[in-house]
Amino acid sequence: MTDPQLVARAQEGDLPAFEELVKKYQREIYGLAYRLVLDAEEAKDLTQQAFMQAFVHIKGFRQQAQFRTWLFRIAINQCYNYLKNRKKFGDPVDCDEYVLVGEDSPEEELVAQEDHRRLYAALSRLPAKQRAVITLKLEQGLSYEEISKVLGGTAGAARVNYCQALKTLKKYMQNEDDYEVAVRPYPKMVTRVSRR
Amino acid sequence: MKWRCALIQRWLPAYPDGDLSPFWQGMVRSHLEKCPACREELAGLEAVVMNLKAAPRPEPDQAFWDNFNRELHLKLAQSVQSVPEPPPARFLKMPYYLLGAPALAGLLLWVAFGYLNPERPGLPPQPQLSQEQKALEKTPAAPRLAAPAPAPEKSEAVMMVSQNGHDMHGEDDLDLDGDLDSTLAGMTETEREAFLKKVRQHEKDGSCTRESLAVCWA
Ligand SMILES: [Zn+2]
Repeated sequence: MTDPQLVARAQEGDLPAFEELVKKYQREIYGLAYRLVLDAEEAKDLTQQAFMQAFVHIKGFRQQAQFRTWLFRIAINQCYNYLKNRKKFGDPVDCDEYVLVGEDSPEEELVAQEDHRRLYAALSRLPAKQRAVITLKLEQGLSYEEISKVLGGTAGAARVNYCQALKTLKKYMQNEDDYEVAVRPYPKMVTRVSRR
Repeated sequence: MKWRCALIQRWLPAYPDGDLSPFWQGMVRSHLEKCPACREELAGLEAVVMNLKAAPRPEPDQAFWDNFNRELHLKLAQSVQSVPEPPPARFLKMPYYLLGAPALAGLLLWVAFGYLNPERPGLPPQPQLSQEQKALEKTPAAPRLAAPAPAPEKSEAVMMVSQNGHDMHGEDDLDLDGDLDSTLAGMTETEREAFLKKVRQHEKDGSCTRESLAVCWA
């Protein structure tokens, strides 16, 4: 069944139809939430909350819009609220560092690990909106037009934001080591994740 | 950095995917051909993109999603039971006990409107002369809106045309007039009765307006 068909049924209160949509998009929403809050457990909660919100408001969804981008918008708002609260209560915006640890760790793998570690550290320093635009463009593959539907503003503004965000990320990655020593000498957390 | 390089580098992240306008796409391409600094910058940006795309994300297994869907199903089912219909309008989100207030206000407005609008059809004409007099005698300055108003009158006797030709409301509007109010409030009962008698008499023959009468009386 297509999205518009499932949405139409969900709008009439058909829970299994809505759960079809959940299954279709849960991985994407989870990945997006994870990139935004950089915390696997919170990402799971926020993904559930996003679907709850979507279900409550699905009657107000207009079929001309894309269900996927509408869902992204809801999820991003949930994440923004979460980050705002975390900031308000003084919890530093920090990240889990998912570092791959293979059975045998050749030199290249160690270099890759170091790159990823610096990437996560740099990502965590970016403003949430810049993290969002980078994730939507590079990982979810949205066009600037679609990004503007999710984040608001125009497609032109989305392109400017993306350019700015990527340049900032690159700058942070270049000087991440200096920054870390100077600002936050936190211990590195290593989590094992399976590589697929 | 040269100003031209700064200008080009501003748009470099969007260049590899061809996301720039044809004009800018061409500008950047020709600049990159002759500028090693911008080529290096572009290579750095592409490395970041590669790094990001290759960066591992937690990819939960099927057991995680089964659990996720079970939990979510319970929450969704609960929300279906507790909130069957999301309220369409903002003011309907207020607690139900507060809904009585707008309803009462609406009812009062309806009654007051009906009372002030003598042309309103469907309501029987009342023997209003005596009623109006009683009301005046009891509470000459009481605001109309606060009282449960009697049904509006519909009669030529009530409608009057003032001297300058404007419609005037009937006798039931007597105490809505500020000057008249203050005049009536300062009278004794007998004075008031005499005054109202005079008002009616003058209004019947159209020789004087209430306002001028009030002024004369005062
Ligand atoms: Zn240059």
